[in-house]
Amino acid sequence: MSWLDSTVHRALVEAVLVGALGGVVGVFVVARRLPFFTMALTHATFPGIVVAALLGVNLYLGGGLFGLLVVAAVLVFGRGRGQDFTTATGIALSGGFALGVVLVSAQDGFTKDLAAYTVGDVLAVGTGDLVATAAVAAGVLLLLALVGKELLLAAFDPVGAAALGLPTVLLDFALLAVVEVTVVATVPALGTILAVALIVGPAATARLLTDRLAPLFPLAAAIGVACALAGVWVSTQWNVATGASIALFVGLVFGAVFLGTAVRGRVRRAAAVRA
Amino acid sequence: MIVFEPFHLPFMARALVELVVLGALAGTVGVLVLLRRLAFVSDTLTHTVFPGVVIGHLMAGDGGIFWGALAAGVVTAVLLTLLTHRRRVSEDAALAMLLTTLFAVGVVLVSRQTGFTSDLTAFLFGRVLTVTEEQLAQTAVVTVLVVALLAVLRRPLLLRAFDPEGARAAGVRVGLLDLVLNVAVALVVVAAVKAVGTVLVIALLIVPAAAARNLSDRLAVIVPLACLVGAVAGWLGLVVSYEASVGHGVRLASGATVVLVLVVMYGLAHAAGFVRRKVSLSRARRAVVESAA
Repeated sequence: MSWLDSTVHRALVEAVLVGALGGVVGVFVVARRLPFFTMALTHATFPGIVVAALLGVNLYLGGGLFGLLVVAAVLVFGRGRGQDFTTATGIALSGGFALGVVLVSAQDGFTKDLAAYTVGDVLAVGTGDLVATAAVAAGVLLLLALVGKELLLAAFDPVGAAALGLPTVLLDFALLAVVEVTVVATVPALGTILAVALIVGPAATARLLTDRLAPLFPLAAAIGVACALAGVWVSTQWNVATGASIALFVGLVFGAVFLGTAVRGRVRRAAAVRA
Repeated sequence: MIVFEPFHLPFMARALVELVVLGALAGTVGVLVLLRRLAFVSDTLTHTVFPGVVIGHLMAGDGGIFWGALAAGVVTAVLLTLLTHRRRVSEDAALAMLLTTLFAVGVVLVSRQTGFTSDLTAFLFGRVLTVTEEQLAQTAVVTVLVVALLAVLRRPLLLRAFDPEGARAAGVRVGLLDLVLNVAVALVVVAAVKAVGTVLVIALLIVPAAAARNLSDRLAVIVPLACLVGAVAGWLGLVVSYEASVGHGVRLASGATVVLVLVVMYGLAHAAGFVRRKVSLSRARRAVVESAA
């Protein structure tokens, strides 16, 4: 009998892991303006997971491989004349999701599987999921510790990064791959739609609180972990969907900070005018 | 004929009418979505309508869904316009927050009900085969309204899309115009969501216009072409899903099949556009060589 045998304990550990992971990766997502792309990835990994389930191979592997195909499709279609990244992302999003739905609808037990996938269930994570998430978190953090500076430079000043001789294409691809791995690790717990909340929300909130780069990562990770834990707690207390209550907390914190900083800015400006 | 035969059944005929009307409507609005790069805004609107659907259903049963969705759609259109005019948060981060938070409100409310999963699935993918005549009437009214609105405002809308600074200088009220377009997108989502679900709405809004854009550079061609692509995809998608389930015993969700047909048509249009540009480029090159010789 170990501590991890309880569903709630496993859910708490998973919440801490995805909260921290989402917060840290989110700083890059927000800086590179990739929220919509993240949204598309969460939807488009769906057929990969369905195919993996049908073939009986690892779900993470299936979702990850299919996600890479989607990244390639977005890059190809976004280069057409009169087309742009947003449109290509939208097409990949709806197309990938529809493919997954068609594949699932040919099976039995259609609605139940689909709901679990779209809204997730953090209370159902097993020890295997925990190990996978922890491995992804460790890998991503290691990569960010190694090339985080270069990635940030490419995010804020792509021209400067290219001028310094950094391999920007490789860095872009590394970043997209990091986002994708994070999505694949987060989706089982939060579901496709709400995984985006945990990746974008904490980082966007931290961005409102500070303009300096160094505190951004710990701040975003802390907000992510706090929201994830609060969401799990509320959902076990009042029996509501866990992923949704986590996303709701993220949204509430963002809204409160948004209003708070708006008021603070106004007060400061008024003080400056008076002075 | 296999492409006409399924529609002798009344429910298939209703589904066909609904999808063709929606395809044409979304094609028209979609051109503006494409020009203004509002794909993410449309995606946000499709998701934020969800809490409205849930609250409407809780308060007044099936009849409340349309009005709940309408209220939620208009409220988010206003919120979106306000948020995207402030520059404190980058636009896409703000959209992502609005989308996930409001969607989460809907999911929390639904998850307290029994029959949770089937409601959610119906919302995400719609039930096009159970469209009623009342829904057809609602869709038709919304279509007439939106098309009339866009026709009246087409000049300022296009000016704002291509040259926002010029529009402002010409005295166009850009903020109000953005609100009008966001409300138009919200109306399309509201009209379509019960029949076809959120995922299909977003595909209908983005894909036909993008496909048409591949085939032409002229707006007068793109708009009717986008309508046509949307309508034809609805029709073919229904035929494929009917044939697969009746003729071959493979159940294919009709809404998702329509999306896949749309994406295939987009792929073909992309290839055709590529060939078209290559041909016109080589023709221009030949003309230059001949005139030089």
